[in-house]
Amino acid sequence: MLNLWSAALLICASLASAARLSVSIPASPPLLPNPATLPSSTHAVLIGPPGIRYDVPIKRDSTFTFPDLAEASYLLTIYSRDHFFPPLRVDVEKATGESQSQTIQAWQTFRGNEWTHKGAHYGSGKGELQVSVQPSMPKNFYQERGGFSVFSFLKSPMILMALVSGAMIFGMPYLMENMDPDTKAEFEEMQKKGPLTGSQGAGAQMQNFDFASWMAGGKGADTEGGASGGGGGGGGAKRR
Amino acid sequence: MRLPLIAAVTLLARTTLAVFADEAFKVDYHLALIGEPSDASLFHQPNPSSRASLIYSVSEEGVLGAVNPRDGTLVWRQVLSLEATARNTSFLRAGEGQDVVISGLGSQVAAWSAADGRQIWSVDLGSQLADVEILELSDGKETPGPKDALALSTTEKNAAVSRIDGATGTIKWQYPLDGGDAPYQVSASATEVYAVVLHKTMMGYIKLKVISLDPVTGHKKDEYVLSSDNELATPDSIISVGANSASPIIAWTDSAYSVLKVNVIGTKATSTFSIEKHNGHAVTSIKLHAPYHVNCLSHFLVHYETSDAHWAEVFHIDPKQSKVEKAYSLPKISGKGAFSTSTSDANVYFTRVTRDQVVTVSSASHGVLGRWAVEDYGVAGGTGEVTEPLRSVSDVSIKGETVSAVRSAVLLSTGDWVLLRDGMPIWSRPEMLASVVAASFVAPAEAEALVHELEAEAHSNPLQAYIHRVIRHLHDLQKLPVVLPSLPQRMMQGFLGTNEDEDVASDTFGFHQIVACATKNGRLVALDAANLSKILWNRQVADLKSEQTWQPIVSSPKGGVIEVKSRAAAGTQYNASSGEQLLSILPIDVELDAAAKPVQYTMRESTLEATMDGNAAWHFSPMDGERIVSLVPRPVNDPVASIGKVLGDRRVLYKYLDPNLALLVTAKDTARSATFYVLNTVSGAVLHSSSHVGVDLSAPISSIMSENWFAYSLTAEASDDSPKGHQLVVGELFESLVADDRGPLEVTANYSSIQTSTDPFTLTQTYQIPEAISKMAVTRTRQGITSRQLLAVLPDSHAVVGLPYAVLDPRRPANRDPTKTEQLEGLVRYAPVIDLDPKWYLNHKREVIGLRDVVTSPALIESTSLVFAYGLDVFGTRLSPSFSFDILGADFNKFQMLATVAALAVATFAVAPLVARKQVNRRWQFL
Repeated sequence: MLNLWSAALLICASLASAARLSVSIPASPPLLPNPATLPSSTHAVLIGPPGIRYDVPIKRDSTFTFPDLAEASYLLTIYSRDHFFPPLRVDVEKATGESQSQTIQAWQTFRGNEWTHKGAHYGSGKGELQVSVQPSMPKNFYQERGGFSVFSFLKSPMILMALVSGAMIFGMPYLMENMDPDTKAEFEEMQKKGPLTGSQGAGAQMQNFDFASWMAGGKGADTEGGASGGGGGGGGAKRR
Repeated sequence: MRLPLIAAVTLLARTTLAVFADEAFKVDYHLALIGEPSDASLFHQPNPSSRASLIYSVSEEGVLGAVNPRDGTLVWRQVLSLEATARNTSFLRAGEGQDVVISGLGSQVAAWSAADGRQIWSVDLGSQLADVEILELSDGKETPGPKDALALSTTEKNAAVSRIDGATGTIKWQYPLDGGDAPYQVSASATEVYAVVLHKTMMGYIKLKVISLDPVTGHKKDEYVLSSDNELATPDSIISVGANSASPIIAWTDSAYSVLKVNVIGTKATSTFSIEKHNGHAVTSIKLHAPYHVNCLSHFLVHYETSDAHWAEVFHIDPKQSKVEKAYSLPKISGKGAFSTSTSDANVYFTRVTRDQVVTVSSASHGVLGRWAVEDYGVAGGTGEVTEPLRSVSDVSIKGETVSAVRSAVLLSTGDWVLLRDGMPIWSRPEMLASVVAASFVAPAEAEALVHELEAEAHSNPLQAYIHRVIRHLHDLQKLPVVLPSLPQRMMQGFLGTNEDEDVASDTFGFHQIVACATKNGRLVALDAANLSKILWNRQVADLKSEQTWQPIVSSPKGGVIEVKSRAAAGTQYNASSGEQLLSILPIDVELDAAAKPVQYTMRESTLEATMDGNAAWHFSPMDGERIVSLVPRPVNDPVASIGKVLGDRRVLYKYLDPNLALLVTAKDTARSATFYVLNTVSGAVLHSSSHVGVDLSAPISSIMSENWFAYSLTAEASDDSPKGHQLVVGELFESLVADDRGPLEVTANYSSIQTSTDPFTLTQTYQIPEAISKMAVTRTRQGITSRQLLAVLPDSHAVVGLPYAVLDPRRPANRDPTKTEQLEGLVRYAPVIDLDPKWYLNHKREVIGLRDVVTSPALIESTSLVFAYGLDVFGTRLSPSFSFDILGADFNKFQMLATVAALAVATFAVAPLVARKQVNRRWQFL
């Protein structure tokens, strides 16, 4: 396959009068403060009509040079290990009028769009064109794991619920203690009426459920447990 | 039963799949290789002001690379041509005190920055190069800056000597050579440039003609023919020598290697030396080693080799009288040896590397300056194979009169490139792996045995299975005494996560499979697929003459066995863990083989012909002017967990599953079109075909077929309805496009592809991708429950990407947002462009160059597929396309778990007295 390419290259080289394209990569902070740091495997590929393909490595002065281009419409892509570069459309057209050299123009192009859809104009020249292309994006290869952080741990709803209920359990008795006797009495009255709490409430039954006696004696043990249940949540307060 | 699970799995796969930062460089491995170094290797200081030097080499794979001699890491490399052959001699030159290396390969001369490998210039001379030299003038006329290069190009039309400007690469002058003579070598002395051409006489012999040129203008100064009598019959018996010595020489022998003739270029006299025979063994090869610098003493070494021994003679040239004299000879040592030349100021040193020692001598006298024993090269070889040094390049440190240290980079017969420092191997690079032509995973024998036992249990009646199981467990108990003492250590390692260096034997998850690689040179190399730091074994399996190629097929017919088949010979089997050849070749189960494939098809002169039971069944011939590019069948072992696709509303689309599907690609060069056919290889029916025009047929066309879908990629020219660029097409075959409907297959329990022809309903979708794909593969897991990833080799980005199937799904709704049920299924709106996200790069920051193929293998656990890619580089990793749902990954924080348990324990103990007190108090209140 490479043979074909090189053969095609040779044919092109012999047919064309030299149209020269050089692409430089300027320093473009903050993405790429120093283009000399680009790895030497950085290369630019120019794809022409079927069978025509030029592939040049980056030079010491951070440029790519295509010395000899035939008349065609090309797609220029720069491949680098750490950065993305925008794809360009490069057109080399026949010499017009008395000038002997070909016209060469470059635009930005967009993948998935029609070929006639051109973007920003990068420049045009007679016989020779120099354009500079800046990287568009760094390549980010890695996905960070959602590691353990105390903040995200505390933010999770389960933990929030646990904390709130913990505060209720430990904080309630003190609150009750500090209440004046009238409000306290009223509150206790309210609690007794509640469906979940109170001596007949489901909560109290659940809390005072004597598992061992239920295992041992069944029904009777259950009633005993229910009878012994004094005041559920309020029990602690009464005691004092 | 399985459907909900699959739905869950596909939903899991929806999130991005990427290489995790903490797994990168741990799970994956990569060997950045250059290939076996050719004679064009040298030590050179990339920065003239510093003494640190790198080893530069142009390999037999056509790759120029710089290797750090301290630890063997690759500093940089450039692919000059990936199809270099032995015929294409390569050249590598470095001017003394310069930060440039100049390479020559094919028709291209290029200069590279020695420190970072960036190109400085490159010149295409239009024809095959015969020689490249650096012009080192010492008459004060040379320009400051990089030194100029001389190149000699061949072929009738373009044969010429060119002087290339060292700074810009422009050609300063060109001296065309006459058509009839074959250019052979270019040499430069301090004042003149000599071109040596081979002149064919009427008798068919070769005469050496020397043309001397003015280095400044390129005009011819003189021309003469050396009297070589009639002993030169072929150019092979000329022993060329590096040219930039003070007295460049050319030497040749007769075809029987009985006399050696040496001529100092620039003079007409030749000196003749007879070559003695040793023990009746004829000399089989003669090599010349001479220093490359103008200022060095004009001494050279002639290296003689017979089939079982080697020796050398050192000659001195008297530059004033141009006389060549034999100075001394180095003793004969059995086995092969490698000589290398190093210089220090004007002194020349020869270093000899043999099977068991390294010896350094000065060119002036035969006294041994340094001798070091080599106990072991530290590389894996075949059983009973003696590791021989083939080529070496050395760097000698001189302190006063003695040699203080010698570093030699030696290419061994095993294909390893080893650096010896004072006889001690410091590092080795397995460069034979750069020429792997076929590779395959081998399932470990132990794991395979267990699988068979489990299968036996599953298929027998419950009582038998129970007895079988009890017996198996009793057998396992015998291993207990061995396991118990190592248990605390293993637990500790498991807890700290340091148990990565498991070996093949104790492999719980099936990650440590053996990969067998057949190399271009006829060697078979076995690697551990999870730990590439060690090569298990490496042996010669095919005796190939030079220039001879083979197309091996490596396969694993059963656990622990590797089978290598060549086109010519029958298969040979090897033990996967030791590399021993299995003497009793098990007869291939013919019946089983035939049962698996009742229809055999072969490709004959661009047509496919199939036979069934020896009778012609069908044949496929492409249309006029079309040629078959490739044929990709569905993998033989391609388990599919579900016969349908679950839709969002719990209905099912039935997949068209046929084990005999294949994707055939044909191309028409005149019309620049490519056609893709999905064939049924039993009936020969074409199930689906699509054609593309304006296709770049010189660009790679890759294709894959798996399960009920296929994919192919191509590079197309801009047309009215499609933009210029690379396309990826994905097609999926269904029994019917109506949910919960199996079409005509519904009523039949069994069906035959030959009798009933049911056409599948095919959905295809085309995507634009940013670059060409040269090869595709697909991940494989044990049961096929895990979703699949399409693996694509990107030759331009030097990467392998894993594309999740959800991205490629042809059922992605186009021109509308997905409906509720489609969203439930995980389908997203079709977008014409798939940007290959760097997070999908399996190789992440590593650059994987020159990949030829990717092979995959299921691990023992369902979630994981092993990937091994080979070519110039070797790259491997393991993938969990649906995340690691059956193994605790690195994201499982053992410390956090233990901390939680501890916190709960503490809380329990702290709260227990409180609860007890409360209960006691409550009793006291009422009773």
